[in-house]
Amino acid sequence: MSAPASRTRIGARAIVRRFGPVIANDGIDFAAAPGTIHAIVGGNGAGKSTLMRILQGVDRPDDGSVILDDREVRLTAPADAFARGIGMVHQEFMLVDELTLLENLILAREPVHAGGVIDRRKALAEAERVAAMAGVTLDWQMRVADAPVHIRQILEILRLLYRGADVLILDEPTAVLAPAQVRELIGLMRRLKAEGRTILFISHKLDEVMNAADAITVIRRGRAIATVVPGETSKAKLSEMMVGEPIELPLVHPAAPHAGVPVLAIDTLVAHDGRGLPRLGPITLNLYPGEIVGIAGVAGNGQDELAAAAAGLGQIDAGSIRMDGRDITRARTGSFRDLGIAYLSADRAGDGLCLAASIRDNFIAGSEHAPPFSQSGLLRLRAIREGARRALDTLSVRYGAMGDPAKSLSGGNQQRVAIAREFERKPRVLIAAQPTRGVDIAGIAFIHRQIVAFRDAGGAVLLISEELDEILSLSDRIVGLYGGRITGELDRSGASVERVGRLMLGEKAA
Amino acid sequence: MIRAALANLAAAALPFVLALAIGAIVLAVTGHDPISVYALMASEAFGGTRRIAATLTATTPLLLTGLATAIAFRAGVFNVGIEGCFYLGGLAAATLGFWLVGWPAIAIIPVALLAGALIGGAWMVAPATLKVRLGVDEVVTTLMLNFIAINLTSWLVNGPLLARGSANSATPAIEKAAELPRLLPPSTLHLGFIISLALVILYGFWDRFTVTGFRSRLVGLNARFCRAVGIDVPSLLFRMMILSGLIGGLAGAIHALGLVHRFVAGFSPGYGFTGIAVALLGRNSALGMILAALVFGALASSGATIQLFSDVPIEIVEVLQGTVMIFAVAKLGLLLRDRRGLA
Amino acid sequence: MIDPLIHAALLMTTPILLAAIGGLVNRVGGIVNIGLESMMLTGALVAVIVSADTGSVMLALFAALVAGGIVGLLMSRVVTRLAANEIIVGLGFSVAVAGLVRFLLKSVYGVSGTFNPPGVVMLPRIDIPVIADVPILGAILSGQDPLTWFAWAMVPVTAFVLARTRLGLRLRAAGSAETTARALGLDPLAIRDASTVFAGAMSGLAGAHLSIGVVGLFNEGITGGRGFIALAAFYFGRNRPWRTALGALLFGFFEALQIRLQGRGVPAELVQMLPYLIVILVLTGLGLANRRRSGSSS
Repeated sequence: MSAPASRTRIGARAIVRRFGPVIANDGIDFAAAPGTIHAIVGGNGAGKSTLMRILQGVDRPDDGSVILDDREVRLTAPADAFARGIGMVHQEFMLVDELTLLENLILAREPVHAGGVIDRRKALAEAERVAAMAGVTLDWQMRVADAPVHIRQILEILRLLYRGADVLILDEPTAVLAPAQVRELIGLMRRLKAEGRTILFISHKLDEVMNAADAITVIRRGRAIATVVPGETSKAKLSEMMVGEPIELPLVHPAAPHAGVPVLAIDTLVAHDGRGLPRLGPITLNLYPGEIVGIAGVAGNGQDELAAAAAGLGQIDAGSIRMDGRDITRARTGSFRDLGIAYLSADRAGDGLCLAASIRDNFIAGSEHAPPFSQSGLLRLRAIREGARRALDTLSVRYGAMGDPAKSLSGGNQQRVAIAREFERKPRVLIAAQPTRGVDIAGIAFIHRQIVAFRDAGGAVLLISEELDEILSLSDRIVGLYGGRITGELDRSGASVERVGRLMLGEKAA
Repeated sequence: MIRAALANLAAAALPFVLALAIGAIVLAVTGHDPISVYALMASEAFGGTRRIAATLTATTPLLLTGLATAIAFRAGVFNVGIEGCFYLGGLAAATLGFWLVGWPAIAIIPVALLAGALIGGAWMVAPATLKVRLGVDEVVTTLMLNFIAINLTSWLVNGPLLARGSANSATPAIEKAAELPRLLPPSTLHLGFIISLALVILYGFWDRFTVTGFRSRLVGLNARFCRAVGIDVPSLLFRMMILSGLIGGLAGAIHALGLVHRFVAGFSPGYGFTGIAVALLGRNSALGMILAALVFGALASSGATIQLFSDVPIEIVEVLQGTVMIFAVAKLGLLLRDRRGLA
Repeated sequence: MIDPLIHAALLMTTPILLAAIGGLVNRVGGIVNIGLESMMLTGALVAVIVSADTGSVMLALFAALVAGGIVGLLMSRVVTRLAANEIIVGLGFSVAVAGLVRFLLKSVYGVSGTFNPPGVVMLPRIDIPVIADVPILGAILSGQDPLTWFAWAMVPVTAFVLARTRLGLRLRAAGSAETTARALGLDPLAIRDASTVFAGAMSGLAGAHLSIGVVGLFNEGITGGRGFIALAAFYFGRNRPWRTALGALLFGFFEALQIRLQGRGVPAELVQMLPYLIVILVLTGLGLANRRRSGSSS
């Protein structure tokens, strides 16, 4: 592909946006040519989301402006942006669960007869038209609540087409897709591009970006570092630009060979999700002391249910979980924890931490009823204070005062508080789900070191992560999870991106 | 630290101040002078020992209905059924109060109070079970139970428990021994005030220093998290709801034994609902609730007297109460918010 | 005789039905309106005042509708713009408006409890000549007032609007997915406010029915908890207009029955309890059904 054309369909000129002392966007420039797929890459917290919100009209810059068709414009509201043909598909889909696919498609742009009665025939015709444009077919009467994730995403894109968007902004679209679905999505994007639409595609998956994009803009710390063309760069160079220095995950030495008895034995386990739909199983998995088992899989294939079940939070339909041979399947969460199973939740704000509570409270939560933190039902405040201080310092948590709410901490520090809490109980098993999500590079390295040290001291780790690099770096064994079933297992020495990728897809390991 | 405390106090007082402003408008529009009305109310509430005693008497039921509501709200349980518990607790205590003839005070009072509390607690078993086992929203169930309780007690007091020869719906008067002793005769201030105050103070300690208090607060902030760290959330919610009912029932029992000395139809002019306002205004804190209960108690007792001395109807008090409830939950800061980028 | 009972039941149902439909639409739009009682009370008083002052039923109904709508708007704005908890605000409004109404009666009109101005014009009854003599059918169709016809007409209208019109679709979206609705360019808070105004207006009409449709005066207890019974009805109906109407009819029937049975050994209070008990039973049933479906305990 040639260098970016001189006409800009959508772009930014010196956009600045501050939130208090934090400068989210610090003078961003970029330009996407019409009829191209333009990727925006950057790490967590780099400022991509803020920029997208501005481009979409949801937020307004403090300085600088949005460029549309080479002209500076002021977008006053999302409706304004829509009117100019800009549409966005968010990571959290903007769909109404209770309504059907068709109703979601036409919502706020309904074809009507007189009196506001919806013209159902016209709606369906329109729906078929945009579906044909994208080369897909959908069951329009299905309720969104019953529709699988990739269908919902396609619906979101179709809705943009229905509304006449010709600039489509896709925010991490492949985060919830299996590799085959990713290929379909890229195909869809190319079809739309061929019709002259412009696609802005945010991702941190460099493979896909290199594959699909015509141009790539790298954002780091609120600035656009560079705009390059895939043919003239490489993944390594992109990573370097994203982080500022080459990423080097710590070299993790393999585990010592383990003894015969598994500390955690999961046998033909079947579990369902929050809505009662079966999502996991039957699966059989053993966890031995002194090893890290990495579960590789795309989000939505049963990882959440596996993590929850192993941590004592799951909705188990069949099968069993044993710890040191003892059946704990029907035990309460508290029992799981008392027996030595610790849990780092993927959802920090939901159940990893209580963000509104103080750092101190988060640290003792779950252990408040036992010595040393309490006695005969009364809290021992001094013991709590000292214990917390010691643990937080050991983990180098940067905080103001222990009484500050946990939400005042950065993502990385929040995760350290959670780790401090879990490790305080001297667990034997650690269930770590997305342990470095939303954590900065230095924090990621730190957390990885903690996990490895835990393993070296004899602990067993069940690592569930969407970051393939993390899985490859840390795991002694890699197990693939697809459609709730185990697809195969690889040893550390035999693992590679290709082979793990096949496991994630449901293909057997070669 | 001081600044934070003052800021907190200001934020807590704001709903009341705004309610006064609304009340002032209502008064002005109907031809009364707000300043003089409020001044009269203040002096009627706090001017002199006798009046203060009256205010404290009016405060008494609100201390415990507020506490009962706060204990539930704090744990994230939206119990709006304290009014019903109050009625039932009052009836139970009054009934034992006139049945247990010849019992000495040292026996009959604790027994009657306990009965009132237990009935209140039992009344909450159904909605608590429904919530914990079946996920049924407790707001509607407890709201409905209020009306069921009021109708139930009304039927009982008009029928089986009606005082013989009595034209109006009232039980017989309780035994003299069952009456809670007066603290400052001839005023009606009774021992119930001390009991209620003590319980609220006890709650303050429970909140900060006990394991259950800690857990209850955390569950109210994030129940999912508590479950993940091993706290038995359903059990805690159930217990807090029952505890809430126990205190609500006790509140009614104290009211029956201490002030009314019987049970009548219309036993409570909405103490349970005012308790919600007390809990909200006091932000579930012990000190806050004591102050809030005093405020509402002052409104109620002064309202009764100003009706005699001026032509201001007592209902202005209800207007103020309702308005405080509304402002206590309104996030007034939103009026000043930056309207940019809200979605 | 069953005819008078049927007629009375329908009469008692009307205010509950009006308020319940309002509450239903409000709930679909995303607000559980606990303050229906206050809007009913306002409508009842305003209807009596305007009817006595102007002698026009139409003006009285219109005034009641507007008054109820205004209270609804006030309540809604506090909930939507100040992010206030709708249950508490609803309760607060119930208390404050009840107090305000009694306050105004004493301050402005100098009466306490009952307000009975001269010249109140009542809602007319519509007799249908031939049908009136048919047993049962006559009791149902003939001799009802216009508001009763209106209330029942609103049931299919509401069902249709919710399912088949743009307004209904947007209301459903705004009620269950506020962020999404906003992202699509709708104003969910304004839609919510509109649904509360509708609930207020319908409840205002309900109040008017109580005062100028049945008794011809205003009494501070005239609503008698019907605002909460309407709540019970739309919880019973689970957001479906026809089921809600069934619930309202059931409760209206209870009320008519209770009056008939008074003095015959069936305590009035126990019958009055029934609607509330039924709501709890319905919610329990729903909870059980949910649990069976998902196969998990909470």
